[in-house]
Amino acid sequence: MRRAITIFCGKGGVGKTTLSLAFALRHAERGRKVLVVTSHPIPELAVTISLKGLKDSHSLAAANLFVIHIDPRDVLQRVVRQGIGSATLADAVLSSRIYTSLIEVIPGLKEIAFVSRMRELSIQDGTESADRFDLIVWDAPATGHFLRTLDVARNFDSYLSGPLSLLGKDLAGFLSDPAALVLMPVTILEEMAVKETMELCEKLIADLKIRPTALICNMTSPLLAASQSDWEETRRNFGANVKGSGNLNFIFERLAVERALFGRLRLAGSVPLHVVPRKPASTSDVELLLELAGVLSSVSNGPRL
Amino acid sequence: MKIRIFVGTGGVGKTSVTAASALRTALDGEKCLVMTVDPALRLKTALGMTGAALEQRVPLEPASTKGELWAALLDVPTTMDRLVRAHSGAAKAQTIIDHPVYKLLLTSLAGMNELVAVERINQAIADGFENLFIDTAPSRHTFEFLDRPEFFVQLVSFPLVKLVGRTYAWWKKSPLSGPDSSDLYGRLQQMLGATLVSQVLDFFAIFQPVAEAYALHSRQTLKILRDSRTTSFTIVTTPAAAKHDSDYLFNELTKRNYFVEALIMNRLWPDLRLKATSGASPAVRDLAGWYEGVYTAQLAIHDNVHAAWAGKGRRVIDLAELSMDIDGIAGLARIAEQLKAA
Repeated sequence: MRRAITIFCGKGGVGKTTLSLAFALRHAERGRKVLVVTSHPIPELAVTISLKGLKDSHSLAAANLFVIHIDPRDVLQRVVRQGIGSATLADAVLSSRIYTSLIEVIPGLKEIAFVSRMRELSIQDGTESADRFDLIVWDAPATGHFLRTLDVARNFDSYLSGPLSLLGKDLAGFLSDPAALVLMPVTILEEMAVKETMELCEKLIADLKIRPTALICNMTSPLLAASQSDWEETRRNFGANVKGSGNLNFIFERLAVERALFGRLRLAGSVPLHVVPRKPASTSDVELLLELAGVLSSVSNGPRL
Repeated sequence: MKIRIFVGTGGVGKTSVTAASALRTALDGEKCLVMTVDPALRLKTALGMTGAALEQRVPLEPASTKGELWAALLDVPTTMDRLVRAHSGAAKAQTIIDHPVYKLLLTSLAGMNELVAVERINQAIADGFENLFIDTAPSRHTFEFLDRPEFFVQLVSFPLVKLVGRTYAWWKKSPLSGPDSSDLYGRLQQMLGATLVSQVLDFFAIFQPVAEAYALHSRQTLKILRDSRTTSFTIVTTPAAAKHDSDYLFNELTKRNYFVEALIMNRLWPDLRLKATSGASPAVRDLAGWYEGVYTAQLAIHDNVHAAWAGKGRRVIDLAELSMDIDGIAGLARIAEQLKAA
């Protein structure tokens, strides 16, 4: 049996990591065992968001939430150990400086190792009981690297021979199975991000034959979906009743852009849209995540159990 | 020579800030090259570049400006072909360029950008550019373009790797290379598959002088990038990202002995502490309150970061969020003005 992987993908800086964690937290709070695979090395993850304080305030969620970074080096190390058999010889290979430099340098190798570990995690054959999760979330790297990771993994078997190409065949199969992946592109309502997201959705549909489950518009401002007449009325009233004239233009220019981009996404219409409003201020990251988790509850229940 | 490298997490406006800094220096009368290490083609849109040329001169206003602004995209095949042609004879260069493993390296694999970036910087220096402005990939990959070449330099200098490069051609012709051979290469072929190994080794045998040239250039370039008299790093952040990322990037760069000159806090909102009149409707009050809340949170982060960086003895430059689209020279000129004022 295979567990589908929910992927949060999109442009850099749109909030993939935060939303991955919020989504996972929501399910963990309800007692599901959730694994978040992040492309950030763990020290760098804390740069984006911190889970400090979760254990004290939400012990069930904390007990069910697992965040890991797959280090391709560890994966390759296991492959080498299995391939060589003799522990002494394997140690010698792994500790040689030539091996450590080689795996850093070979293009594509790390991406392949990463995807093959993801595939392993998704297989629920009961052998790795400690690693069995009800939900697996992949906080993917920014669009360019995400697409290249998919490309490398899918085309790996076409240019290699020998045992490595068998691994490649498995990966190609894994990534062309629509039941294996749940795609959740994330965007913010800015020209570049929206353009990139629309291209990403088209490419995923064309190449992987997988239609994203939801497109999430993150960090939106108020009045996004207000009707044209409501919007104009608020704008008039706001101008008449609020002081700070120079900066009011800033607000309305931005709101107009967001509304236009949201309208464009709605027109494109191939993927259901979900809106996650910007939170003005939160006292802590955990509080922010819990708030977002509530907002995300309408997005998807995740893959069915 | 001056090299300025801009790093930061995704979506903070690195490309625009890099291009605007180059524009400012060009308008001051210098000859500048702005180039990107990021595979995303943001620089092209930011500068409004048209056409397919990888290196283009960007027209400046007013036309009487003495300075020059050039923009270059990082193109892996072009950069590598130039390296190959410079370090092997014409016939051998063609053999390398036509080799299936070489084509595979250039076109199908992730990670080549990071490896080739330092060579591209080296070529730009060789082309006589005095001012380089470099836009990097988002933070998860920022350090790859500095780290990967270091590993390559190590690899090429190993005696065993040198040996493979020098002996493989000889081994292939020798009687040892039969199907039952029990030597090193034969073993490798059994493990990894014959075609792969022979192609890779065959390629490496002819490619080795080029690899050594690459390693030499990388060593030289990385040395230049570590010299604070020529190279400085600028961290770009936004109020939303600055809470965590600016210290992290500062520490990672400092750990690797690169000099961080300044922090740019981009996309600051104007003062939005708005006053609703007593007659304002609840909807209007809510909206004003929402903007005030976002602005106040930004301001708190801004003040904290300024205090922290003053403690490090580094400058923080504030740049305002522009509500218009910043693509094109006109938008960049507005950022350039802000940079000049700072």
